[in-house]
Amino acid sequence: MSMRSQVYEWANLAPVGQTSTLRRTIADVPKALTANRELDLFIGGVGNNITKPAETTATQFIVIEDIACSPNLGGAMQIRINTTDYFQNPDVTDMLGIPGLASPYPRGANSSVALAAATPAAFQAGVIGNILKSFDLYPDVYVLPGQTFQILYTPRLATPAAADTATSTAVVSAFVKYTLYDGPDALIANKLLELGVTINPNNVDWYKRSLIEQQQRSASAASAAAAALANGGGQ
Amino acid sequence: MSMRSQVYEWDAGRNTAAANANAGTRTSIFIGGIGNNITKPAETTATEFVVIEDIAVSPTLPLGIDGHAAGPVVTTDVRGLSYDPVQGTAGGRAFCQVRINTTDYFLDPDNVPNDGIPGTASPYPRSLNFQPSFNLYPDVYVLPGQVWDVLVTFYHAAGLLTTTGTSLAAGGVAATGQLQCFVKYTLYDGPDALIANKLLEMGISINPGNVDWYKRSLLASQA
Repeated sequence: MSMRSQVYEWANLAPVGQTSTLRRTIADVPKALTANRELDLFIGGVGNNITKPAETTATQFIVIEDIACSPNLGGAMQIRINTTDYFQNPDVTDMLGIPGLASPYPRGANSSVALAAATPAAFQAGVIGNILKSFDLYPDVYVLPGQTFQILYTPRLATPAAADTATSTAVVSAFVKYTLYDGPDALIANKLLELGVTINPNNVDWYKRSLIEQQQRSASAASAAAAALANGGGQ
Repeated sequence: MSMRSQVYEWDAGRNTAAANANAGTRTSIFIGGIGNNITKPAETTATEFVVIEDIAVSPTLPLGIDGHAAGPVVTTDVRGLSYDPVQGTAGGRAFCQVRINTTDYFLDPDNVPNDGIPGTASPYPRSLNFQPSFNLYPDVYVLPGQVWDVLVTFYHAAGLLTTTGTSLAAGGVAATGQLQCFVKYTLYDGPDALIANKLLEMGISINPGNVDWYKRSLLASQA
């Protein structure tokens, strides 16, 4: 299993008395979010987190294929590799990243999203409209061996009320889909990168096949040469 | 029939239905003792090869708004999912993980096994309201002789309804259709399993098209 499809889902949910948690629990409640504050989905200290910054080892290669977040609260997603933000404004200044309205999670999320208020007055249960994706992360984003990466979520609006007392139910979530190449497949991914070939499971398989075919050709050429030598030696 | 498309649908509301006590614990959809089960752990024989192509579980909707403060008060179902204001989500907040022998397939970036694919990303059933963000590609291979399992975890009992229409968190057992999991896989048996192994050695994706291609290339080389 050296190529594995992986996902990470974040939500601003954690147990009472904590702002973050390493494991989801049945007692999770919504946590407050500050407007315009970048939150690292992995180690940002809010919601479900992991034990250390996301990074690739010397034998790993990651290809980020999709990012998405709740369209509510004006949320947006940014990818940071080491210290470099992936999405930039045309004038090369910082931006919040891909809006949740362009890449919603879940797809088909609530359509009655207030763009100017934290609590949309038009919200009704059972609304029939759905937000579909306008953005596709293509080409994919590569995280090379030894690099650290962050997925940053920024709400433009704060949650409606202070959380942790169950007075607010504003739950937002974010989603990352990536493929982890490990061991020999990570080496092949590096080789494809050098060759300028897109890194995806199909191309990694293609490279393996071409290696096998090359070996088979070499082996048959060597045996033919040995046979020719033996025939020539006999004359 | 040596290549067969197969599905397995699990429903936590069937047979011994899920209860509030099952929230937060991993449950095997095959032999977990909850919902519909099979007679023994899922495993491949020496002449079988399984390719898991899709997994999905009941969705969850984080509303993203304050559903019980001033303004709109959400007290009813949202898009067919039971809503509870404490956790701020509608639905069971369910995840599904694939396990091969003792190894979990889905990991966090710190290499710690996680709960798996959220139903929000891979919903079952799919609808206009809940569309998949996730596609299980590359597929997951279960080699001959391996044991495999799909584990479901749900964290929001208040987002599921009981057979009497009340919240699961308040007691009772889950109604059918409240928490479901779906697995789509292809079973290669006999000669096709051998070909699948061969394709694996060659680094070629295992799917019915490539198995047929390998058979054709064998026939062509004999001709």
